[in-house]
Order: sequence, then structure tokens, then C-alpha cells
Amino acid sequence: MSKNYYLKRIGMVFVTIYLVTTFTFVLIRYMPGGPMDYMVAQLIQQGLPEARARQIASTYLKVNPDQPIHVAYVDYMSGILVGDLGISTWYDRPVLEIIISALPWTVFVMTVSLILSFAFGIALGAWMAYREGSRFDSVATIVTTFLTSVPYYLAAIALLAVFSFRLGWFPTGGRYNPDMAAGMTPEFFRSVLYHGILPIASFTLTAFGGWALGMRGNSIQVLGEDYLRVARLAGIPERDIVIKYVTPNAILPLYTNLMIAIGFIFGGSIILEQIFNYPGLGYYLFKSIETRDYPLMMGGFIVITIAVAISIFIADMTYSLIDPQAEAGDSRETY
Amino acid sequence: MKIVSERSASVEDPVLELYDTSVTFSMDRGTSRVLNDVTFDIQREEILGVVGESGSGKSMFASALLDAVVDPGVAQGRIIYRTDAGEQVDMLDLSREELRRLRWEEISMVFQGAQSSFNPTMKIREHFELVLESHDTPKGQGMEHAHELISDLYMDPERVLDSYPHELSGGMKQRALIALSLVLEPNVLVMDEPTAALDLLMQRSILGLLENLQEKYNLTVIFITHDLPLVAGLADRLAVMYAFEFIEIGTAEEVLNQPAHPYTRALLQAVPNLDAPLSEMSPIEGSAPDPVNIPSGCTYHPRCPLATEECRSEEPHFHDTTESHKTACFHWEQSAEALPFADANEYSEQTAIQGSQSEDPVVSLEGTEVHFEDGGGILNIFNEPETVYAVDGVDLDIYENDVVALVGESGCGKTTLGKTAIGVQRSTGGGVSYRGQDIWDARDKNGDVDIPFADIRRALQIIHQDPGSSLNPNRKVQTILASPLKRWHKDMGGDERLHRIHALLDLVGMSPPQDYAQRYPHQLSGGEKQRVALIRALLMNPDLILADEAVSALDVSLRVEMMDLMLELQNLFNTSYLFISHDLANARYLAGNAGGRIGVMYLGQIVEIGPVEEILQNPQHPYTKVLMWATADLEADEGDEEMPIRGIDIPDAKNPPSGCRFHTRCPEAREICTEREPGQFETENEHETACFLVCDDDHPYWESDPIVDETETGEP
Repeated sequence: MSKNYYLKRIGMVFVTIYLVTTFTFVLIRYMPGGPMDYMVAQLIQQGLPEARARQIASTYLKVNPDQPIHVAYVDYMSGILVGDLGISTWYDRPVLEIIISALPWTVFVMTVSLILSFAFGIALGAWMAYREGSRFDSVATIVTTFLTSVPYYLAAIALLAVFSFRLGWFPTGGRYNPDMAAGMTPEFFRSVLYHGILPIASFTLTAFGGWALGMRGNSIQVLGEDYLRVARLAGIPERDIVIKYVTPNAILPLYTNLMIAIGFIFGGSIILEQIFNYPGLGYYLFKSIETRDYPLMMGGFIVITIAVAISIFIADMTYSLIDPQAEAGDSRETY
Repeated sequence: MKIVSERSASVEDPVLELYDTSVTFSMDRGTSRVLNDVTFDIQREEILGVVGESGSGKSMFASALLDAVVDPGVAQGRIIYRTDAGEQVDMLDLSREELRRLRWEEISMVFQGAQSSFNPTMKIREHFELVLESHDTPKGQGMEHAHELISDLYMDPERVLDSYPHELSGGMKQRALIALSLVLEPNVLVMDEPTAALDLLMQRSILGLLENLQEKYNLTVIFITHDLPLVAGLADRLAVMYAFEFIEIGTAEEVLNQPAHPYTRALLQAVPNLDAPLSEMSPIEGSAPDPVNIPSGCTYHPRCPLATEECRSEEPHFHDTTESHKTACFHWEQSAEALPFADANEYSEQTAIQGSQSEDPVVSLEGTEVHFEDGGGILNIFNEPETVYAVDGVDLDIYENDVVALVGESGCGKTTLGKTAIGVQRSTGGGVSYRGQDIWDARDKNGDVDIPFADIRRALQIIHQDPGSSLNPNRKVQTILASPLKRWHKDMGGDERLHRIHALLDLVGMSPPQDYAQRYPHQLSGGEKQRVALIRALLMNPDLILADEAVSALDVSLRVEMMDLMLELQNLFNTSYLFISHDLANARYLAGNAGGRIGVMYLGQIVEIGPVEEILQNPQHPYTKVLMWATADLEADEGDEEMPIRGIDIPDAKNPPSGCRFHTRCPEAREICTEREPGQFETENEHETACFLVCDDDHPYWESDPIVDETETGEP
């Protein structure tokens, strides 16, 4: 079973990615309008007559509007196989190049906020479970429930309005100070952090509550387990009980969620980076949807698909490593 | 009884003295007294058995001894612990830190539910190390002691310490927990139902080991259980609890042989065992009192046949029947006469009951095999998966109106065999057929199918061990019972359906049925849930019901009642039971009353099968004898009984021993057993045994050399 099981599982990852890619490709083509229409509309707005605008657009845009969809599909798919994601119609640069330059920034913002919200949520949730029923617990429950129900983009807009526009403490956009040369200098890192704080904060603030509530529930359950009663009777100090008994057992069920969140968080970057004018993957994806930039849109979606599929695959495969009780593979018959 | 300080201890050298100890819980509907003014002494280095039904307050007694009553319960009174140095400590008057030190170092405890007493994310070794560390005990010395304890419990220390809890079997986990509780060398060990989840053989083996430990380490053991026969052979003294207080205390021999309290007598009568005639076992009428509303006077008076006006109004004090035996009953002198016991010695030959089995089998298994593959995690990706031989070549015919009881240890494959017989587990070899139609051919529509799979499915039903989790908690009893009728009697009207459900509920003693039909499963007791599960299975009008440990989760006194009901319904519905149990006494009761058979399973094979009384009175296979030894009889300790088995743990089903699978534990094993697998040899009366012992004198077995070292036998 085991070897075949892993091969099957890896195969499923590829099938998933392939199917989602195909599906996205078709859907994108059926969106109303196209790159051509967008450019024409832009030019008409600038006062050009429609016929002229259409002519200019067709000279500048490297698209072939008359190509039937199945031919375009085969072209595109065979391009992917050799690592060619096409040329962005709007930026007129290779899609791969844009993604490579943008992806690290998104990964930076998302990982930092995921780690922060997870760590903070776990600590708070465990603490709440320990003081279950106390005033601290009730207040924290209300606060976390409220923060969880606030959408991250609303938080982003609020933070931007208060801290950037009103107080002027933080920049309103950008990845780092454009006057500064990018490099491995402390000043550069400080600038990156300074620009990244608000996007990270808006994700962290709205996400940690969910982790905290999940952790609280799990911890309360673990606190009621027989082995905790045995540990207490055996005189094991509270510190060891928290670190070695409650926390590992309560985190286990959250692990899969965490891995899945890594994948989905890319989707969240689309709007966030738009709000903060932060040129990461999400920013370009938003722009490409607006301009009907088919190749760039496809490239962005493929990256997200791969991230989700791989995260879930890793979660599946590694769960047995962190939970000694779990065995990867098909469920075993008991007897 | 109220004069606390001037009471002199009732035993010579008390280690623990309880004075008017109570445990109370405040609840919405009043204060619940789950331990009611208990005054009691425990002798140093004795084994005290505390016996009571569930809900009698025995667990609270255990917790109170360590001042470990769970919130919001409160323990009151005085519990004096005398240290070796003669110092007196009041357990209920200690600071947190003093209590933390005293527990485990002086008084230790093993819990109910040892299966979940270890942290699943930590290895066993870490558990030991943490406990040693927490009590500032040097690790090297402490771990050495841990090694010794684990070997005393017949396990390999290195292997156990390097395992995660889930990698150990239930019995091994239990023994590891005992070792953990003794690692700081306490004086007193309190055990609360420590073996309840294990099969009988393991329970008996652990009890044997416990006796050795008690002697070796001079322990005082307080063993709390609902299972009177289990502790009968172990305890020096027995104390019976009823309604949150002790009602009878005495030496084990006196309590078992001359019980004076009517409740103790009823309890002894209600226990299924191998000795008493089938007709003499009877359940206790009525139910245990509610802790919020304890009856006035003698708490047992509502159920007691001897109750008089005095019992209703006045609380009985302890009367000494002998120097070492006392009971809290006004009528203790009359009880023996008024409630006589069936004398186990009086009858010798049990007449077998004639069953009404059919000629042709309903279900037959031929050379059935079920093998599983066991893969392992991502780290074992390149290892070949191992095969688990859960069922390995079983022939069995089950007739109409038949009862076949399968007995064996946990892990011997009896549940898998049962599931295979009713077609919910696919066999990997051999055949399973229902009235001549192969079940899996019908399922796969292979060849000519005489009986469609849907009919087979309906005809073969199951009731599970845990009735609580087999009923949907969000459905009323009525809805639960209506679904099989809706499925199989589509033309039946709603009123008729309801009528039928009510009639059945009434039949199984759940009246008024209109009331019970409207309840949710959590509003039913364990016995009632199991009855609903039984009715649900019967509404399908099945030919065979697999009853997988169907009575094991019930209180001892309810088991006989449930089995009586199963027998009554068998007559009514013409159904057969495949009854799975680790308890020979239950198997005997159910199968014996229907003229059925007992099949003994070991590592995936049936090693002995035959009519009930034939098997019990004339067991041939050494393993059957072991199981009979494990089924405790109601007798006090008769000195050092020899364990008729070598090795406590059942071998791994992934790698069964060669030849006869039992040879690694068999006291009669000879060289030939390691090489040749014995077939089924029929003796008389349809009695079949897979052992060379039943063969004639000219069989090579008798020439072969014994593999058992004589000095080794008798050791567990």
C-alpha cells in the first residue's frame, strides 16, 4: 500500500493543478471583454476616434483575437511545459519575470502575518482555556470574535486611513523607499519592514482571533483528558503540563488548517496589495484582471493553485511526522 | 459514630483512617452526596477490595483518599495518613505543595481508563522522567527502578520505554501505568477499576502480578471494582459499598461465604459465573438511589426483601458478625436463611438445554481468511507492508435459532470473524455464504445470484458493544426505530408503524412506551440504549445478529437481564446470535440457554468448538483451560494458584508463531507443536479441538520432547 499510496497522492497533485489550470483558462476567456477592448476603451477616453484606437491597439498588443479557444489552449499549455508563461499584454514583459519579481514580496508579507497570527493566537487561546470562565476569558472571547468577523480589507482601509493619512506615521504604499538602493543593508531592511507593517498588521489582526478560538476549544478539551488528571496527581509542575501536555495536543488538530491557510492566503493578497499599492503578486493579479491581461492572469492563478495544492499535500504527508498516532495512508481496518 | 477523636482504630496498624468523610457536589436540584459520612480504616500492607455497582460512590472514595476529588466536589471530614515514621497527616488539611509531594511519593493512584492515562504525544520514557524530575528524584536511580518495575510486570523495559502510548496494547499500557504509579516507591496504591477495559485473561494476569508487587514492595493496595469475582481471589479484606457508604466489611472469605447484608447476597447471586446452575442467576430488582435524594433509614430498604418499618426510619449501624466482619443491617442474622444461596457444590452435572436449531446452516464460513496490510508512515515508504493475519482459515456453520458464542482475548480476531460472517468485512480468502449463496458474489453480481445482496444485508444484522455511540444522538427513539420499518415495509402505514414500535418497547420492558418513544438516546440508561439497539436490529427481521460484546458495557447486575431478553426475543423472532465475548461466563449463559455452541478463538483460528456444557465440563485445548482459569470464581484466595499459561501478551498477529500458534504460551507444548499445525480433531458430541493432546497414544506428539522448562511453569 504505502509506496503506491504516495505515488497516487503525488499524481493527484498534478491532476488537480492541471484541471484547475484548464478550468481557469476557459473561464478567463469567457469573461466579458478582452485586452483589446480594454485598451480601445482607454484610448477612446483619451479622445481618439474608435477606428484609430482599434488600429493602435492592434499594433501594440501582441494578441490574436481571432484565434479559436482550443488552439489558444493548446498553445498556452505547451508553452507552460517549457516554462513559457507568455508575455503580459499590458506590461509587455514576460509573465514569468513579473511573477518572479513580485512573488517574494507577497511571500514576505503573508508568511510574516501568518506566523504572527498563529503564534499569537495559540498563546492567547491556551491562556484563555486556562482561565476558562474568568473575566479575562469572556473579554478575550468577545474581542477575538469581533476581530475575526472583521474582513481583512476593511481593517486594511481603516489602518490606512488612520495611520497613514491622518497620523502620517506610515507610508501609503510601496515596498520600500524608492530613493534607496536595494541591497543587504540594515537601512534597506528597515525600510522594507516599515512599508510592510500595515499590510501585515491588517492580516494579523483579523486572523489571530480564529486561531485563538480554535486553540481555546482544543485546549479545554485536552484539559479534560484523563492523562492530564494523572499528570496533576503525579505532581508534574504546571509549567511542564502547559508545555508538554496541553500545547502539543491542542495544536495538532490546527496543523492541517495552518498548511491549508498558507495556500489560501495568496488569494487574500489580491485585494490587500491593491489597497496598500504594494506591488506583489496580488497587485499584479488585480491589475491583470482589470486590463484583461490573459497571460498575466493565468500566471497568477497558476501560482496560487500550485501553492494550495502543494500546501495540502505537505500537510497530508507530514501530519504523521508530528502526530505519533497518525499513520499516513489509507485508513487501516481495525480488528 | 460521631465521636471522632476518641474512636480507636478498627485495625491493628492502620495506614489510612477516615473519619466521617463526605464528598458533596452542589447542583441545581440540591446537594448531591456522593460519599456519605464514611468512617473506615485501612490496614498497612493489606489488599483491600472495595466493591460496588456503578454510581455507588466507590470512585469518590478513591479520589477522597488522595484529596483528589474533581471540582466542584468538596471532600469533608478527616483522612489521617500515617507515614512509616509514625507521623500523622490529615490529607484534607494540607497545603498545595505538601499535597503535591505526598501524592505519588506516599499514596499513588491508578485510574479507571488507563487507555487514556498517557499523553499521546510523549514517549513512555518521558512520562517516567517527568515524574522523577517533578519529585526531585535522581534520574539514574529512578529509571533503574522503573526498569525493574517494568520487568516485574513481564514486559521488556527498553521496548516499552521507547514506545508511544498508542503503540502498546491495552494490557501493556495498563501495566506501564502501574509501573509509573510505583516509580517513587509509595506505601499505598489506590486502584480505581484499573482493569475494567481489559479482557478477562489480561485482568487475571495483572492481578497475579499485582500480588507479587504487593509482596515485593510492601504495598497497601486498595482495589476498587464493580466486579466482585475479579477481586475475590486477590483481596485480604472486602468492603461492599452501596448508596455512597459501606454496608459490609470483612475478610474476603467471610464476605464471600457468609455475606450478611441482603445487598451483598443479591450481588453475589447476580454475577454470571461458571459454577452456579443457569437457573439460579437472577438480576437485582430496582435501581440504585439518586445521590440528591438518598432514602431515609437503611439506604437499601426500597430494594430489600427483608425491609421492615425499622429499616425505613432508622439508619442501621454496623453490627459485628464476627471479630473481623461487620455489616450495617438490622436483619443480618436472618439474611442467610431468608435469602439462601444455591450451593455450587450441590449440582455436578448440568443438563444441556436442547436447542431448536435447523438442519441447514444460515451462514457458513469455509476456510475463511481475512488478512490486512499494515503500511506505516512516510518514513517506512520503502518497506514492504506487513500482513496482519486477523482471521486465518475458519470453518463455521451457523444454523437457524442458533447461538454461537466466540470467546478469546482482545486481538484474537473474533470481531473480524464476526463482521466477516455477517458480510460487512470482505474476506480475503475462503468463502462466506448465506443459505448457499456466496455473499460477495451476490454483492459483486458474479455469476448466478440466487439471493440478491439487499436481502442478505437485511438478514444479517449487528449490535455493537457501546450502545451509546451506535444510536444517533439527534434522533428520538421513535425515529430510530421507524427507519428500518420505512426501509423494508414501505406499504406500512404511519399508525401501524407506531403501534408496532410501542408494542416492542413494551415487550422489552420499557414502559410506558409512549414516553420512551419520545426520548433521545442520552435520556436512556446504558441498558435501555442497548435494548433499543436490539429492537432496531430485530425490526429488520434478521436471520442472524452479530452481538459484539453486547453486554460487556453493562453493569454486572444488568447483564443477566439483557441476555434473558435476547433469549426471549430469539424465540419470538426466530433469529440466531453470533455472540462475541471475552467472558466465558456470559458466553455460557447466553449460548447455554439456547443449546448453542462455544467457539474458542486464538490468533485468528478457532481452536476448540462444541456444545456449551461439553466445552466447559470437558475442555480439551490448553487455551480453553486458560480462559476458564481466567473466568474468576467466587472464592477467596486459596493460596498461590498456578497460572496455566506462559507469557501474558498475545503474540503479534503480523507474525504468528509457526506450527500450533499457541505453542509459545502453552504449558503442554512439545517440539512437534512448533513445527506442525494441528488440524481439528473431533472427539465426541460434535466437540472439535485443534490440539494434538486429544490424539491417541500413537500420535508422534507423545514421543516429542516438551519445550517447557519445568521450573518455568506456573510463572505468569
